Amino acid sequence: MFNALEVLQPTILERPLNELWQRISPLYSADEELWLTELLKLAEPTDAQLKASTDAATTLIEQVRKDDESMSMIDSLLLEYSLDTKEGILLMCLAEALMRVPDKETADAFIKDRLSVADWASHVKNSDSFFVNASTWGLLLTGKIVTMDETKDGQPANLINRMVNRVSEPVIRKAMNQAMKIMGHQFVLGRSISEALSRGKSYRDKGYTYSFDMLGEAALTAADADKYLKSYEQAIESVGKDTYNKGHRPTISIKLSALHPRYEVGCEERVMTELFESVKGLIQKARALNVGITIDAEEADRLELSLHLFEKLFRDESTKGWGLFGLVVQAYSKRCLPVLNWLAALAKDVGDRIPLRLVKGAYWDSEIKLCQQRGLSGYPVYTRKESTDVSYLACANFLLSAHTRQWIFPQFASHNAHTIATIATIAENLGATTNEYEFQRLHGMGDALYNRLIKDKDVCVRIYAPVGSHKDLLPYLVRRLLENGANSSFVHRLVDARCPISELVDHPVTTLMSRKTLRNPFINLPKDMFVDRKNSYGPNIEIESEWTPFKASVDAFMGADTTWTAYPIVGGENLETDKVREVNSPYDHSLNVGKVYWSNTEIVNKAIDTADAAFPAWSKTPATDRAACLERMAELMEENYAELVAICHREAGKTIQDSIDEVREAVDFCNYYAQQVRQNFAAPKVFTNFQGKTQQSQLTGRGVFACISPWNFPLAIFTGQVVAALAAGNAVVCKAAEQTSLIAFRAVQMLHEAGIPKDVLHFLPGNGATVGAPMTQHKRIAGLAFTGSTGTAQLINRTLASRGVAPVPVIAETGGQNAMLVDSTSLPEQVVRDAVRSAFASAGQRCSALRVLFVQADIADRVIPMIAGAMKEQTVGLPYLHSTDVGPVIDEKAQKMLLDHIEVMKKEGRLIAQAELPEWAEKGTFVAPTAFEISSIDQLKDEKFGPIMHVVRYKAKDLDKIIDTINNSGFGLTMGVHSRNETTCAHIANRARVGNLYVNRDQVGAVVGVQPFGGQGLSGTGPKAGGPHYLPRFAKEQLV
Amino acid sequence: MTIVKPIQIEVANQVFEAWNQLGVAGRVAQLEKAIFGLTHEQANMAKWQLDNARHEIGEAVVLPGPTGESNVLSTHGRGVFLTTVQSGIAGDLVSVGLVGQIFAALVAGNPVITVGPEGQQIMDTLAKFVPEGVVQNVAESAQDSIIEATDLAGVAIICDVDNAQQLSKRLAEKSGLLCQLVEETSIGSLSTIGAPHYILRFVTEQTVSTNTTAIGGNATLLELGSKAE
Repeated sequence: MFNALEVLQPTILERPLNELWQRISPLYSADEELWLTELLKLAEPTDAQLKASTDAATTLIEQVRKDDESMSMIDSLLLEYSLDTKEGILLMCLAEALMRVPDKETADAFIKDRLSVADWASHVKNSDSFFVNASTWGLLLTGKIVTMDETKDGQPANLINRMVNRVSEPVIRKAMNQAMKIMGHQFVLGRSISEALSRGKSYRDKGYTYSFDMLGEAALTAADADKYLKSYEQAIESVGKDTYNKGHRPTISIKLSALHPRYEVGCEERVMTELFESVKGLIQKARALNVGITIDAEEADRLELSLHLFEKLFRDESTKGWGLFGLVVQAYSKRCLPVLNWLAALAKDVGDRIPLRLVKGAYWDSEIKLCQQRGLSGYPVYTRKESTDVSYLACANFLLSAHTRQWIFPQFASHNAHTIATIATIAENLGATTNEYEFQRLHGMGDALYNRLIKDKDVCVRIYAPVGSHKDLLPYLVRRLLENGANSSFVHRLVDARCPISELVDHPVTTLMSRKTLRNPFINLPKDMFVDRKNSYGPNIEIESEWTPFKASVDAFMGADTTWTAYPIVGGENLETDKVREVNSPYDHSLNVGKVYWSNTEIVNKAIDTADAAFPAWSKTPATDRAACLERMAELMEENYAELVAICHREAGKTIQDSIDEVREAVDFCNYYAQQVRQNFAAPKVFTNFQGKTQQSQLTGRGVFACISPWNFPLAIFTGQVVAALAAGNAVVCKAAEQTSLIAFRAVQMLHEAGIPKDVLHFLPGNGATVGAPMTQHKRIAGLAFTGSTGTAQLINRTLASRGVAPVPVIAETGGQNAMLVDSTSLPEQVVRDAVRSAFASAGQRCSALRVLFVQADIADRVIPMIAGAMKEQTVGLPYLHSTDVGPVIDEKAQKMLLDHIEVMKKEGRLIAQAELPEWAEKGTFVAPTAFEISSIDQLKDEKFGPIMHVVRYKAKDLDKIIDTINNSGFGLTMGVHSRNETTCAHIANRARVGNLYVNRDQVGAVVGVQPFGGQGLSGTGPKAGGPHYLPRFAKEQLV
Repeated sequence: MTIVKPIQIEVANQVFEAWNQLGVAGRVAQLEKAIFGLTHEQANMAKWQLDNARHEIGEAVVLPGPTGESNVLSTHGRGVFLTTVQSGIAGDLVSVGLVGQIFAALVAGNPVITVGPEGQQIMDTLAKFVPEGVVQNVAESAQDSIIEATDLAGVAIICDVDNAQQLSKRLAEKSGLLCQLVEETSIGSLSTIGAPHYILRFVTEQTVSTNTTAIGGNATLLELGSKAE
């Protein structure tokens, strides 16, 4: 592991750059205990240093609290509306969305939704701040209304609720919008740089300077990126004209994700060319006008990419010799110290100093969440706040060292009095003068702290100030505030006089060392997310240290010399037949993947007879033993990850992330059903029967189960069905889709290896005629699990029912006509991102994929062009490339059906956009992601299983009619909802007859045991796969 | 071809949504009142079905998952159920079984159509306590038209194995959704109707997944981050 103390040796910067670079990525999700142990050595103060920093922090806080104007306006707001109260959160929710709602009806409903659930009146006049009271609704509503209400009963407790119900809606709406404008005014320094410079003058007179940020959402389209680029150019020009002649010159902060619609690792080539050129243009302009530029830090997955880009820009002629091109680094990142180390060496190598803002980090919650969702190896950030503070001080020790500050100009961004005081102490100890570093703070926060610091020390303090229209920026800023404004945050506690100073000046090293464990025991690692089973693992392909070895392992199976052969497996024996099907890749039909020997009726009958004979013994095998086989299967799949991913690419045309998700889902099925069978099958359940007598019920296998699975999840659904049937105690005969039998064959081999007896599980590759028909006609089939089309499910059901034997369970998961409903409170950027992913990921070949997007008419003209722009950024290509978003469709039949539909829609609908196909697309079966606007879902006769999205505009008042129309389609699989109005979301959830409803997110990627999956009506029989009721349907419930 | 939908199916479909939205507790509260009109044995069965429903499907289940996300699994009625007894089968236990079918189907959230005089008797007992249309009765002669209706979600029947086979075949031949057959062929013991998982045959499930960080924050997680053990 990286030796943290080594960075204090001046010789560290003599090391080859590449060697220092290699130290960064391995720390991405390093063991927190080990790495913090290392880092603590660098942050630990001596007794004298500890005393000095504690004394300095205490003095600073005492002085700040004495100051009558200690609270800035945003501080006051946070104190009154603490973000751990319902009102605080609701206020922010309102602020995040209200200003963008264009139609009165939705705005009124949204206000009512937010205001009716909290006790607003209790906040009236609580705060001394005019801003807070102005934001408190009672005072915004005219005195007349308040007086009127109070004189009626003199009880203000439910004042607002009653006003919402009684006062005319336009009055409330106007007042709310006014409140939002006031908030916007406080959060945003100016709508333009000139306004910001003008408003900022009083602070500059006090000695502050600025870094202006044209914040906003990430660009999803080229047009957005162009708009943000122009905005940055204008900002640079305006700052360039600044004539204020005292102190430090303001700079501009830029967010790379705003300058390119695909600022991500998979698009590195575009980032290093297109985005490079955009930023270079800004640098040239800025340099000419003497305006420094700082690149903002974003999500952990983009860190390494951002450093590659920074290096290229920093080494460019346009930057050389300038010294005002800098960047932001986040201390909550485990990679922070080696990143700083590498940057210092880079600066030395180039010969220019780098201004570097050290922040603690603003995406902490989403980083944690993302790692859990993706089953990653660990977290890229620390799990305790004090660990981030330790990292911050450790990094400060490095940055303020003489050998480093020669090459890095550190800019310490913090609102924590202890951090600020400690930094100043460290600087003094290391002999850094106050012109060798600066502090930074956010506009509207920490005024008192820094006013005091500026008075006491001659140090530069730069205010990071958002600039832009309130409507655009308020939502963004509120989201950041919600991520940083919890009760425990220092800003809040500093201004809360009830909080003892002694609690605010604890050194983070002392606090961390006092913990039983360095890692936070309340935040389990992604693999331990579930208490009763192991979570599946996924490598992070955005991170060099994980992606490089993973890619190499997959590449070992990607060569033309690696092929697979699948056979019918009966009784553990591979059977050769005279019918062989060659398997070619969907993305290039000239590439052979292997061959499949198809089964025939004789083999099918033999398999079923063998299974039938083996059933009694397997059924009697203890449930815990069956569960152990499933868990072993999960391990085997993870051991063979690379091969399975390679087959997903080559046989099914699945992209990299889709292939990883495929393996993960299969693993999750095994672990989840193992846990379920242990819980529910291992021992009889005792209950009191309807006659009042104590009785026992025992779930047991039914006999021979048939499993018929589709090609779109060739490993996950195949494995899920088979292991569910096996876990419940059944013998199994299984047929995979004829397009994807190779991976299913490997799965069956692994199941046998995992301990499933060879006479219990039999594999029967073939098509419906050769395998499906004889299988479903066989009288010994005691149940069937099927995933596929509604029509095939009906056919199978008929065949099974006509055998002249007792009815058997048919568990069918069939099609859908999935919709997403979007109202005008939603955030268009989130909608577009989620809609595009829901419709086009996996080339739209998911049962859950979005087919019909319903957009409220009032925002359709904004959302639809964004969808068109985002679709243009989708890359259709080879599935095994990181740059590919959309791979091929499965075969020519599917391709023809989809292309025919596109032709029909071109006549009956309006083409919104169609992504480009690569020149060589005819080598395989590709369909370009395409979107049409249509007038009604009724225009669609059946599901089109591919990358085609239909968009329908609807009026807010017609929401219920839309739900009726969707319900009347008879399908009911998935639905997405995007709305900030919880009442609306709940109403839709109540009324929509769908199996899986997703709110404010995409509608694909259900996780086993977390989002049990399956539909209603024409979309399936239930129970849901990956849910608690699934296994009992594979079993007999015997009363004993 | 014009498909004629029986009026009972239409009526039942109209009340389905409201009945389903009452939730298990809401339906139990109404159905419990009807128990007093039943015979002692029937009442025991009805009460058991309601208790069992409360136990098996009474509460929406909050599922574990990543932080910043809420995942809730709930059950709902499937739609209109025909609850019936094979012609020629009778007896006290059969009546008890029929009550079990009807109460299970109803408490799960489905509107029910009963058949014949015995069905009428139970319907009369229930009708005062549930919204109009939630329980309807048809004459035996009309049973076939209900079975043939495409909108029928399922048939719960007490019958022998042969009859179950024939009905299964008949239902499978219909177009549209796969109509569920919930058969009780252990007429002497009612071992299917009296089993805890019986109620599951009458429900569909819904998972609602909410991104609770869509507007940004995640105070719970932040609190976890600073929580002292």
